[in-house]
Amino acid sequence: MSLAIETTNLTRRFGPVTAVAGLNLSVRSGEIFGFLGPNGAGKTTTIRMLCGLLLPSEGTARVAGVDVTQDADAVKRCVGYMPQRFSLYGDLTVEENLDFFAGVYRLPGQERRRRVTDILERVGLADRRRELTDHLSGGLKQRLALGCALVHSPAILFLDEPTAGADPPSRQRMWDLLYEAAAEGRTILVTTHYVEEAERCQTIGFMHRGRFIGSGSPEQCKAEMNEALLEVDALPVMQAAAVARSLEGVTGVSIYGHMVRVFAKSTTHLRHHLHEALVARGIVVKTIRAVAPTLEDVFMSLTRGTPENNGGR
Amino acid sequence: MLAVIGHVARKETLQILRDRRTLILILVMPILLTFLFGKALETGELRNIPLVILNQDGSPESNVIATAFSTFDEVQIQGEVGTLREAQDRLAQGKIKAAIVIPQGFMRQIEAGGEAELQLLLDWTDNSSAPIVEGVAQRVIRRYNAERAIRGLWAQGVRPDRGRRLIQPVFVQTEIRYNPGLQYLSYVMPGVIGLTLQLLTVMLMAITIPRERERGTLDQLIATPISRTELILGKLLPYLGISLLNVVTILYVADRWFNVPVRERLPLLLALCTLFVLTSLATGLLISAVSRSQFQAVQIAVFYVLPVFMLSGAYAPIEAIPETVRPISYLFPLMYFCRAVRAVTLRGAGLVLIWKDLAILSGFVLVFLYWTVLSFKKRVA
Repeated sequence: MSLAIETTNLTRRFGPVTAVAGLNLSVRSGEIFGFLGPNGAGKTTTIRMLCGLLLPSEGTARVAGVDVTQDADAVKRCVGYMPQRFSLYGDLTVEENLDFFAGVYRLPGQERRRRVTDILERVGLADRRRELTDHLSGGLKQRLALGCALVHSPAILFLDEPTAGADPPSRQRMWDLLYEAAAEGRTILVTTHYVEEAERCQTIGFMHRGRFIGSGSPEQCKAEMNEALLEVDALPVMQAAAVARSLEGVTGVSIYGHMVRVFAKSTTHLRHHLHEALVARGIVVKTIRAVAPTLEDVFMSLTRGTPENNGGR
Repeated sequence: MLAVIGHVARKETLQILRDRRTLILILVMPILLTFLFGKALETGELRNIPLVILNQDGSPESNVIATAFSTFDEVQIQGEVGTLREAQDRLAQGKIKAAIVIPQGFMRQIEAGGEAELQLLLDWTDNSSAPIVEGVAQRVIRRYNAERAIRGLWAQGVRPDRGRRLIQPVFVQTEIRYNPGLQYLSYVMPGVIGLTLQLLTVMLMAITIPRERERGTLDQLIATPISRTELILGKLLPYLGISLLNVVTILYVADRWFNVPVRERLPLLLALCTLFVLTSLATGLLISAVSRSQFQAVQIAVFYVLPVFMLSGAYAPIEAIPETVRPISYLFPLMYFCRAVRAVTLRGAGLVLIWKDLAILSGFVLVFLYWTVLSFKKRVA
């Protein structure tokens, strides 16, 4: 399968800050690639470089076979971009926005009108075509933004947190639209912090401090997590977590409802130690069992031990 | 290329039309400004400068002099005062600009064949009024002296008409060729028109790109394959349309209320205004392309528009600007505009006489637009 996106040693610095540090990324044509990572990991900076909006400081990036540093406009013709911040004209109507972008992408008259009508139907905004964009709700704005990114039928879609702040039904609707676009053969690169959204991707890349710290299919990522996991059902849950945290060999503890998830390099002896320690503190232990990690666990495990990075880009 | 320019222009037009408040401002402000500036400068010539007369002599001759002042429109006699002290006080309070003092013994001195003096107290802090009062005093005395001399010669048997020629053998024959009404307003109106056209166009245009930058819409726009020229020209066109509408209303106001002979020279004036508006729009676009925020754009625009007021010869000939600063005047399109419009409205010049100014203005448009395209980067900051 051919590569839609390929970067080698892609690097971007802003003064003393290195936002993206030697990224090697390969995205196959037609796949949905999820970019996962905390705020400031360099996801947006990477996307901006791939869209031809930002020049790399070092390294190369080929998008749809074109070098982004050589011919940014050629890249722009075959990619659609949905920025993180809503970036359409609030004082234009839904239809006017679509029509404007279709025009700017040089769609000829008849095709432009047909395409605008198609997109309006597709993103479910046909009956609100004459409303000012400013008056739409957040979820609808996101759908319109996706529509604008799709208006010129790009081979590759870059979506920067397309569902940020949206409610679950809106998110579901957005993902339906993304699968529809993928089914048409478009390659999709989407960033998110929602782990359950990452599960929907064919390939995910964990980005942290400007580099990949893990990638593969969600199943691979879970299988390759180099920590083991215990799920503890105990009461009171806060004390149980505190006890677990104090044990040697434990690398991380997180609480979900009345469950405590305990990460460790190995759980062969830990399970026994943990049970003893909890009981010794008078904590009621219902069960302790080894469980398979979720993507969230993988994410936590991969980013653990590194301080907060608030680069903002 | 043309199609994309059309799409950008259409989008900008829709946005302008939806911003009602700005739209009203755009359409009303130029008329209002032309009217206000014009009215403020209409009385550019000083009249009715207040002064008092202190007639210490109280003689028939001194009364003749005092009366003579009242025949000049430039000054207005605010009555007589009794003492020098009083005259000085009123001068110090700024209530009057001058006091005429006819000292005691004025007539006696003349009759005795001696030299009599008319004293003038002047407040020269107002250096427009003071020389006018001094000029009036000189004319009063010159006329008085002549009349006296003629009377003296007549007493010796010389007839008055011959006496007048003896005393005043040479006359200055003035023929006013242009601006026969001698109106400052006619001189300054081109400046007013230019300043009004420039103020709005530069300001409006300057914020267009930073506004898109601040709202985030520029991110989406520069992610498309739109070329810089398409974007710049697309943004220019709707504002050119509005500005041309303003040109028409401003020229109407100038013609209707300020006696600028617009109708007689319409094609030439329209061409000049259009070209000048284009230079202003291009200037605004250049500011727009280099500004990071709307605030910064307005700052730069103000720093451009203010010196233009002083240095472009809108209110006074640029020859009145010191030579050290004058080269800067040549950098402002308004200077060429004022020069050409004055030539057309005051001296009836045709294309032959102003083609150079038209060419220079066209040059400004091209250079500024090209510079704008080069300055605008299709990248995120």
